Amino acid sequence: MKKFRAIAIIILLFLIIYFFQINFFSWFTIRGIMPNLFVLLALFLGLFTGKKIGGFFSLFFGIILDILIGRSIGFTGIFLGIIGLLGEYFDKNFSKDSRVTIILMTVGSTILFEVCMYIVNIIKFKIEIEILPFLITLSLEVIYNTFLVIILYPGIKKLGYYLENILKNKKLLTRYF
Amino acid sequence: MKHNKTGLIGIIITVIVLIIVVIISNLKTNQLQNMQTVVSKLFMPLQNGYVFIKNKITGDEQQLSDIEILKNENSALREENSKLKEQVRELEILKSENNTLKEYVNLKDKYSDYTTVPANVIERSYSNYDKILIINVGTNDGIKENMPVISESGLVGKILSVTDSSSKVQTIIDTASTVSATISTASESILLKGTLADTNTLKATSIPVETSILQGDEVVTSGFGGIFPKGILIGTINSVVNTKNELDRYAVVNPATDFSKLETVLVITQK
Repeated sequence: MKKFRAIAIIILLFLIIYFFQINFFSWFTIRGIMPNLFVLLALFLGLFTGKKIGGFFSLFFGIILDILIGRSIGFTGIFLGIIGLLGEYFDKNFSKDSRVTIILMTVGSTILFEVCMYIVNIIKFKIEIEILPFLITLSLEVIYNTFLVIILYPGIKKLGYYLENILKNKKLLTRYF
Repeated sequence: MKHNKTGLIGIIITVIVLIIVVIISNLKTNQLQNMQTVVSKLFMPLQNGYVFIKNKITGDEQQLSDIEILKNENSALREENSKLKEQVRELEILKSENNTLKEYVNLKDKYSDYTTVPANVIERSYSNYDKILIINVGTNDGIKENMPVISESGLVGKILSVTDSSSKVQTIIDTASTVSATISTASESILLKGTLADTNTLKATSIPVETSILQGDEVVTSGFGGIFPKGILIGTINSVVNTKNELDRYAVVNPATDFSKLETVLVITQK
């Protein structure tokens, strides 16, 4: 029952993020650049729910996004899924209790996702390579995502440990070891 | 307790900083100009005083005023010269327009003959790297892939994929979009592409060397490629960027459609 509730929370979280990304952040931009909340969600899921659930849901949400509004189906799913899998690697090697670590993970994940997507677009859709505009857009997106993580960090941690407790059967002991 | 309070203050400061960054980054240039005017007005007396003292010391007051007069004359002559050049070009354009005018009248008539399906934009792409729209018509309304989509002002894009009740539209400002077009004053075709550098403009490439382009020239679809009918307005030339190699020169085109405010579109179902 608890696991069911946790999964319902993950789905609800995706819906809320989808709503904010499509509506609010389409006009609340930094020089027209939006953050990418889905990368944050994939990283969050990987970090707190493990590679199986994190990887699966990130892949699943990515495919839904591709179906709904993507240029092609599959790539968003694959790269979000990879970030979901990377989350567990980050969890094993770094502390989630440090705000700085989480920020660095966000920066890395956003860069990884967008660079991979850009390369796919160059190969698949033969788009013109525009290195400087891409780097400017990416930098602003990374800054925006970082801002959001700083603001949401207490909430992310609280909800994350709640989900981790249920889905990984872990007790909140990280602070004491 | 103290740690919690510090954390909360940190979050509040970050929220405020984010809001300020968003507001400043979205300010229009003319709004910034007002700020610049205020600052320059504040510093003007100081600057004038400094120049006055400097001139007194060097005794170059007269020379400076002569240079100023010459500069003004020079700029007036340049302006006159460019106006004359423009008039010559306008005459050339009129000549060319005269030849194609009949064709355009016919196209206008043709445009009203298209069978169209009206639709509303229900969603926009969440990514900074593509410009896709979702509209509320699909196969149930007779929509198929690659059908052209237009707005009241001009070309919007083409249908990328369709479901029963909705369709994805790849806009012309999408970086993966390429549209064959012609400039209203010339017959040669050019290519229009979406660009990451400025998502509100298009980049016109493959401009033939002999084609003359002027700011304000209209760009319309050429009809090549079989997707977009000939003569649909795409936008107007904003600027021409000349490069060392004339073949590489390109133009920046302002789309006729305002994509940020786009709400209703028409899908051309029968050309």
